[in-house]
Amino acid sequence: MHRVVITGMGAVTPLGNSAPATWKSLCEGRSAIAPITTLPREALRFGIAAEVRDFDPLAHFEEKRLILLDRVSQLALVAAREAIAQSGVDFSHEDLGENTAVVIGTGVGGEQTHDAASRRLYGENNPRLHPLTIVRLMANAPACQISIEHALRGPAFATVSACASSNHAIAQAFHMVRSGVADAAVTGGTESCITLGTMKAWEAMRVLADDTCRPFCKQRRGLVLGEGAAVFVLETLENAQRRGAVILAEITGAGMSADAGDIVYPSEAVAAKAMQRALADAGLAPENIDYINAHGTGTPANDPTETRAIRRTFGAHADALAVSSTKSMHGHALGAAGAIELVAVIGALRDGVIPPTVNFVDADPECDLDYVPNTAREMRARAALSNSFAFGGLNAVLALRGSD
Amino acid sequence: MSSAQETIFDIISKESGIDRAKITPEATLKDLDIQSLDAVQILFEIEDHFKITMPDRDPNFDTESVKGLIDTVEKLVAEQPTNPPAA
Repeated sequence: MHRVVITGMGAVTPLGNSAPATWKSLCEGRSAIAPITTLPREALRFGIAAEVRDFDPLAHFEEKRLILLDRVSQLALVAAREAIAQSGVDFSHEDLGENTAVVIGTGVGGEQTHDAASRRLYGENNPRLHPLTIVRLMANAPACQISIEHALRGPAFATVSACASSNHAIAQAFHMVRSGVADAAVTGGTESCITLGTMKAWEAMRVLADDTCRPFCKQRRGLVLGEGAAVFVLETLENAQRRGAVILAEITGAGMSADAGDIVYPSEAVAAKAMQRALADAGLAPENIDYINAHGTGTPANDPTETRAIRRTFGAHADALAVSSTKSMHGHALGAAGAIELVAVIGALRDGVIPPTVNFVDADPECDLDYVPNTAREMRARAALSNSFAFGGLNAVLALRGSD
Repeated sequence: MSSAQETIFDIISKESGIDRAKITPEATLKDLDIQSLDAVQILFEIEDHFKITMPDRDPNFDTESVKGLIDTVEKLVAEQPTNPPAA
């Protein structure tokens, strides 16, 4: 079994169009939640989201190639370029690409393309759809496009598990590199779901906040949708050391579980099981963890359940943990959530700064952990967990530690 | 029983699977042991039937009790502009 390290990260998020810009905003406690700019506001009940701003596709792609790329793939490709450049890996030169995996999570895939095709067909009664509709909207498109652009010929696929898609993707990539099935991996998640269809569907569930996202506090009123992508380069510790690469963090374990219960109401015990499995897989005791990047959606149901699941997993050590939900800043990017949050976890492990839970007003007696309210905290974190719990009761937790 | 009440009782019974005889205006959806996912389906069916938009966590409206739902629907329906006759 190999030790698996992260040597590159890239991100395009509502908080910034690179990983360093995103991390800087997270440290500043800046929230990107704002009125939606890309949809007719009068058609929406609340009309807020965390959108990726100032992203010009033509600055990154030739016009001809853009015909092939839904925004969900554009964001992923740009994040992957940044991650691969930072890692310093030359996939073509070192023959590493021959068995490098690409695993990219997404909740809904090419939703912009899907929405536009539906509008044409049903709204405009135009029976002709663009011939590249399918290759743009398929959920595996981001993974394929990364594999094509960088000539990565190992196992490549998408993982789809709603809000846990990214963590499931990163867990799969981690397992493949750890076991030697793949020599390296490019992994993460991407989502571009701020379409009229998706927004209306979320509105109908009545779980969206009308003001902003306030995880774990008494005044929380629901989640706020976001979008974006984050991508990482994983390789073995030996390979990274041989290359003299900068190691950003080590992935030490992954834990997954399924509630096998309610389709939306989360299970405390089974969420705890995913955290326990991640700790066991990492060979870490609860006392080794200093920070948890929580799923923390800001819904009435998630936050107290997650709090109890953390207490169940950590016992008395729960009170020593810093727990924050960065969704208060970048929104809930669904299938990209875990990947964007990994940028926060890596930042915390590297820089000794815990990103806060912003928009926090008053404590809720049902949520009684240290949520690092409103302001980042300087604190050394040796190891961390990153939680993602999806609709359908699908839980995926990553365990990481800083590089030695 | 008003026709709005009749319809709302029907919707609650159909969506939650509760015996219609057990539904009273005084009950809250919680009293009737209606889960949140059933509750949002009830609200959707009411909206779709009456062509209205039910308030979402608006403190000025009670959408937790059956009577609150009936009152809200009657108020919103009364406020609707009457449709001009079809040409």
